[in-house]
Amino acid sequence: MVTLSEGIVDRFSLQLTLVLFLSVVVVTLFMALLTAPQRDEISEFYLGNRTMSPLRNGLAMCGDYLSAATLLGSTGLVALTGYDGLLYLGGTVVAWMMVLLLIAEPLRRAGRFTLGDTLALRLTRLQRPARLALAVCTLAIATLYLVAQLVGSMALLTQFTGEPSASTRTLCVIVIGTVVIVYAAIGGMPGATVIQIIKAVMLVAGVTVTAVMVLHRYDWNPGALLTAAADHSGTGTRFLEPGLRYGASTTSKVDFFSLQLAIVLGLAALPHVLMRLLAPRKIDVLRSSVVWAVGLVGLVCLGAGILGLGATAVVGRGTIASTDPKGDAAVLLLANALGGGILTALLSCLAFVTLLAVAAGLTLAAASSLAHDLYGEVIRKGRASETEELTVARLSAAVIGVLAMMLALVSWGANTATLAFLAFAIAASAILPTIVYTLFWRRFTGEGALLSLWGGLVCSVLLVLFSPVVSGAPGSFYPDADFAWFPLQNPGIVSIPAGFFLGWLGTVLSERQDAREDAAYEEFEVRMLVGAKE
Amino acid sequence: MPEFSPWHDNSPTYSPPNNGPAPSQRISEDPEFHSLRRAQRRFGIRATLLSVGGYLLYVLLSHSVPGLMNQRLLGHLTLGLTLGLGQFVVMGVTAWCYVRHMRARVDPLARGLGSRLHQHEAASLRASAPPAEAGQSVRPGAKEYRTW
Repeated sequence: MVTLSEGIVDRFSLQLTLVLFLSVVVVTLFMALLTAPQRDEISEFYLGNRTMSPLRNGLAMCGDYLSAATLLGSTGLVALTGYDGLLYLGGTVVAWMMVLLLIAEPLRRAGRFTLGDTLALRLTRLQRPARLALAVCTLAIATLYLVAQLVGSMALLTQFTGEPSASTRTLCVIVIGTVVIVYAAIGGMPGATVIQIIKAVMLVAGVTVTAVMVLHRYDWNPGALLTAAADHSGTGTRFLEPGLRYGASTTSKVDFFSLQLAIVLGLAALPHVLMRLLAPRKIDVLRSSVVWAVGLVGLVCLGAGILGLGATAVVGRGTIASTDPKGDAAVLLLANALGGGILTALLSCLAFVTLLAVAAGLTLAAASSLAHDLYGEVIRKGRASETEELTVARLSAAVIGVLAMMLALVSWGANTATLAFLAFAIAASAILPTIVYTLFWRRFTGEGALLSLWGGLVCSVLLVLFSPVVSGAPGSFYPDADFAWFPLQNPGIVSIPAGFFLGWLGTVLSERQDAREDAAYEEFEVRMLVGAKE
Repeated sequence: MPEFSPWHDNSPTYSPPNNGPAPSQRISEDPEFHSLRRAQRRFGIRATLLSVGGYLLYVLLSHSVPGLMNQRLLGHLTLGLTLGLGQFVVMGVTAWCYVRHMRARVDPLARGLGSRLHQHEAASLRASAPPAEAGQSVRPGAKEYRTW
């Protein structure tokens, strides 16, 4: 048993957390095995049960969309930086509107299993290179985000045990990683859906109940909550004004805007979220599901804001910052102060399950992109049988899981938020331009798709490589070296316009469209607006 | 409402592969299809610009004119915090408008065109083509159509 040196919770809640977490894992594993695809059909593995009710679909979408970063990270940021932290939560909510208003229905009508299928319907040339580029982007995003989740699980463990030893960390990552692989490889989409729904119910219930407890403590008077938060923040009313975190200089203000841009445009283009949109068979079910998800995401984000303010008001900003300078401990400290060991254990279990669920969704999205786009269409040129493709999908889920586990162990101590923000930036600058052009621009060609995918990916990765994230600042990976000529930590403000511009440039420079391409687009458009026969 | 009369005259006289893509060709030239596209796109783009653009503007304003955003309205509730809460309201209203717009303006058109499309597909299938090939013979057909 690990020693309880500087953990913020007592032995009782640690044990309770373990028991709760294990029982949730056992139950969901059983359900995942029971619902696992019985036949060797790729549509069942990729899309799961296509006749679920809108509420269940909405819960699953909400589960895929909200990661532990929202529960712990954003709440902690609200607790530490007040107004600036609240803006993160706002960005998370607004990003879902992109999905509802622009992406969901056209993509579902014109899609099959992966984004590559939609692109292939639309392009008459360069289908395979475009699928390859999409698979690489998907893999990059999923791996980064997956590593962020696994590193997050180790950071969460720190709240219990103090700085965990190397063997404890390895054990934690291996246990979580293995469970994730089992969900994704054996359970497929049906298994992932089960854990997403359970997680979403737990998340909504946990956040709502805790937020109600916070409000109850302040007699349901938001003004009193704000006053108490400002009083205990150590910064007075500045806590409720913009600029506490990002107001120091123009650079940091631009940096913050860049981050917001990446969140608002990137969250909507994350591969596991897009994959979930393809699942419902009927368009009206999809619409109701996305609207349900609007409500659920809004509720959780509103609750997370109250939790963050409550943490500062009840616990005090000094204690939160001294326990964990990134603020990830805020929720657990608040739970400890409000409901003692039991609430702490419940919320920690919730955090672990959230990690697990998002990681499973990501692994599945990456695996299906590898199996369907890379193996099925690029390597085997569409001649792979369903059984073969399914085996590859299961194998790639395992490979991706193991890869992420190793990367997570190597990059222990990395800032999870930085990894996640890079993933958002790649999604917003490589995948979003491709989706938007594919769906809405008649002239878009394969060259444009290739240029925007590769260009967006390379641009965001390079900019981060030469930014203070990697070198030249006290908190970077190589604090001693200094090759950071790009001043911002978040590349979004440059790389997103670059991705859109490159997509346009590639299209304009490619040859003029012939009749075949026009016909392909017309057919695609009919399919996108009217729908294809199922 | 223009009927698709030329169709029924033409279809028996041409070989089956030529018939496959033709309904989409015709439908994409239909004025109803154009109004469907307009209705869906215009609302989607406007609503996205309003909600996402409005939010980004709010973020920009928060950091560029803090004086305005820090105006107290009620107790500790500043203009900035109120606008932040307002985002949730805007989101709810936008989602509601979207659903209403889609139900009233887009769905009936899509349903009408969809049933015509499928009816025609079914008719041409019954006429001659083997079912397995119906979905595939797309591009050669499209080319054929253009040369008429």
